[in-house]
Amino acid sequence: MKEQPIPERLQISPFLVFYMVMSIQIGIGVLGYQRIIAMDAGYDAWISILFAGGCIHVIVWLIYKICETAGGDIVTAHKYVAGNFIGKALSAIFIAYFILFSLTVLRTFIEVIQVWMFPEISTFWFSFAFMALCVYIIFGGFRTVVGIAFFGLVLPAYLLLTFGWAIKFSNFYNLLPIWDHSIKELLTASYHMSLAFIGFESIIFFYPFIKEPKKSQKWAHFAVLTTTIIYTILAIITFAYFSEDQLSKQIWPSLTMWKIVEMPFVERFEYIGIANWNLIILPNVCISVWIASRLIKRVFNIRQKAGVFFVVAAVLSIINFLDTRKEINTLNDYVGKMGFIFNFIYIPLLFAAVMMTKKLKKGKKK
Amino acid sequence: MKNKRIKEDVEHKEWEQSFIKSKDFKKIFYYNQKTNVRFGLTFMATLIDENIIQDGILPNLLEDEFSEIEDIKQLVPVADVQICDDPSLIEQKLMNGYVMLTIETELKHFGFIAAQKEIVRGLSHPEVEFSVIGPKEAFVESMGQNLNLIRKRLPVKELIIEEFTLGSLSKTSVAILYMENITNEDNVNTVRQRLKNVKFDAITDSSYIVQLISDNSNSPFPQLLDTERPDRVAGILAEGKIAIVVDGSPHVLITPTTLVEFFSSFEDYFLNWILSSFFRLIRLFAVAFSILITPIYVATLSYHYELIPKDLMSTLITSRREIPFPPILEALFLELTIELLREAGARLPTKVGQTIGIVGGIVIGTASVEAGLTSNVLLIIVALAALASFTTPVYRMGNTIRLLRFPFLFFAELWGLLGIVFCFCVLLTHLTRLTSLGRPFLEPLYPPRVVDMKDALIRLPFEKQSKRPIFLRTKNPIRFNKKKAKKKKDIDE
Repeated sequence: MKEQPIPERLQISPFLVFYMVMSIQIGIGVLGYQRIIAMDAGYDAWISILFAGGCIHVIVWLIYKICETAGGDIVTAHKYVAGNFIGKALSAIFIAYFILFSLTVLRTFIEVIQVWMFPEISTFWFSFAFMALCVYIIFGGFRTVVGIAFFGLVLPAYLLLTFGWAIKFSNFYNLLPIWDHSIKELLTASYHMSLAFIGFESIIFFYPFIKEPKKSQKWAHFAVLTTTIIYTILAIITFAYFSEDQLSKQIWPSLTMWKIVEMPFVERFEYIGIANWNLIILPNVCISVWIASRLIKRVFNIRQKAGVFFVVAAVLSIINFLDTRKEINTLNDYVGKMGFIFNFIYIPLLFAAVMMTKKLKKGKKK
Repeated sequence: MKNKRIKEDVEHKEWEQSFIKSKDFKKIFYYNQKTNVRFGLTFMATLIDENIIQDGILPNLLEDEFSEIEDIKQLVPVADVQICDDPSLIEQKLMNGYVMLTIETELKHFGFIAAQKEIVRGLSHPEVEFSVIGPKEAFVESMGQNLNLIRKRLPVKELIIEEFTLGSLSKTSVAILYMENITNEDNVNTVRQRLKNVKFDAITDSSYIVQLISDNSNSPFPQLLDTERPDRVAGILAEGKIAIVVDGSPHVLITPTTLVEFFSSFEDYFLNWILSSFFRLIRLFAVAFSILITPIYVATLSYHYELIPKDLMSTLITSRREIPFPPILEALFLELTIELLREAGARLPTKVGQTIGIVGGIVIGTASVEAGLTSNVLLIIVALAALASFTTPVYRMGNTIRLLRFPFLFFAELWGLLGIVFCFCVLLTHLTRLTSLGRPFLEPLYPPRVVDMKDALIRLPFEKQSKRPIFLRTKNPIRFNKKKAKKKKDIDE
């Protein structure tokens, strides 16, 4: 059975992949990754970020190779490797992964809101409104999803500058001495970066929607590079701003840093920051819900609209059961682990499988 | 002449049944003085110009010799004379201001002589889109006049005018204008198709067309730009857009458009590019300010006092100390008052409207502050927001902007700043989904097209505008050859 190609009017320009990748990468992780990586690698952790960033470039390269060889998204790749039935079964796992991903992002964001802004806000009703907005976006088609990713990255970009206020009160000698941690500690820190970095794997799911996908590869790499640089700079500022002991007590160091921002008409900038974060979180949730619903359509052959409602219903029903910090933390850990396994173990394996199948098929032809 | 005039009973024919009930239906018979052939003139008195009959048609028909209906083409000094034998045309022709001529000798054939009464309002200044610099002509209600204004500005054969008749009752003439060698054929086809699909009985104004053919009729945003300036229409036709002229409406529609176009005044093109870019940015800022400032006031004062620095807080607290209402009620009260004033001002004659504005603005405002119903800080904010909403050059968009404030207020009260951002996300999604003639409405912001930014948020000088907007997919994207344009001189040359 030949798959229908995506009509050109629904496809996106290659350079928009930059915004897609970056906006799904930058999400909830940015608010608190500094503490987690500093736990292992201390103030050398910025090296770990660079290392993790480097690894991701390899994975992005693998993803493009897989998609190119299989000629489509991950479902096609699975089919290519394992045949129709097993291929679909494998793809179905990722529906659960992306539902969990959107759930984690949304619930963690609501936790931030509850801790910093509105202790009383109803988890359910806020998620309900948020998911309704997601449905509205996704019903507009993939181009609208990309549009939100674009705005979700460009409009809040000014927030980066606000971290500049912290520089005034920073002590960059905190970072010295460099490299006083073992390679193992640095690698552990890199591993813990995964929650902040995951999301770029979404390329493997929306690959067929890219016009001239080959041209988009450089944009994907560029996006990963930019994210890595932003994370590194932010980590360095954080390390210089907090002492190591102080940092270990901050769950969301990025938010704490906003407290220092002061303008003639605004104090306590974190309120504005968190409110704006809504715009950054939106593409995260949207893209993952879109991917989950798209997978449902591809695997079970039902309308994507039905798939969207299924995903939204799933998220809304599970989100009520996650109440305490501990539960949310566990969820974050699990999703981070799953992301790590998927990106750094499963994708190389899939790559190897695809390459072997390609050789086998070539051999058969001869 | 008069002695030859004989009134006869109207012959009862089927097509005349409903006509004779109308008082303006006239059927008069005359005899030719030379051949004594009897002929009749049938017309709607309200639609035709009596002078044409008295001076142009009758003297010739009465005095000159003719016996066949074909002869009248030579006799009558009117260009538009048609002979036909199809009775089904009669109603349409009579209603379009033709005089029907019948001759006793040839009952099966009849002639139609054009004698429309053109009531043309004199050209006046543009009132909605006034500009200090630039042409002072505005469209009027007559389509012929409007087309003339546009043709004069683009005297080339490539400007195509296609005409349609819409509305089962109103039979409104609608014309679409485009440049044959520039405009994208698909766009023209889409417009044609949508106009053909219009099913409505009476199209009395171009606003009907706006609502009937726009991509999403459930959006508060206008998706077709309407203008009363012929210069603007000529300008956009040269860009490769399509104009729709509706008979009886002084507003011409432009499609496809983008959101930023609604915030650009045509005066921007008359000013130096630095000034006009500055004014555009001011306008965009004004719009953002107008929509967001009251919700931000409500959000901060209801939920996030901590946001406000100490010194500013004391000013705010002093002004709100005596107010018995929560900020949301206070804001709603003032916003509604402003809306009320605007609505009252719009319905009343100009002179009275101004008075009402002053009475309302000054008296009600000051009084409500003194009575302790609203804080004076909020009064300033709301008044500024209202003022800012009037900076939008397109009236329709101004209305939309005033409406948008209310959902924002609602969400500000619900979730504070978070609610405002949430509402903004909804608005953004709506705008991203919106299309005008199938082209993205937010272009060049999304999809991001740097090249089209030259005439969006800012306007670059004309030398830099060598290409037509990409999103129009024009047949000829080059406006002028940049290389052939004169090179600037080097120092001391």
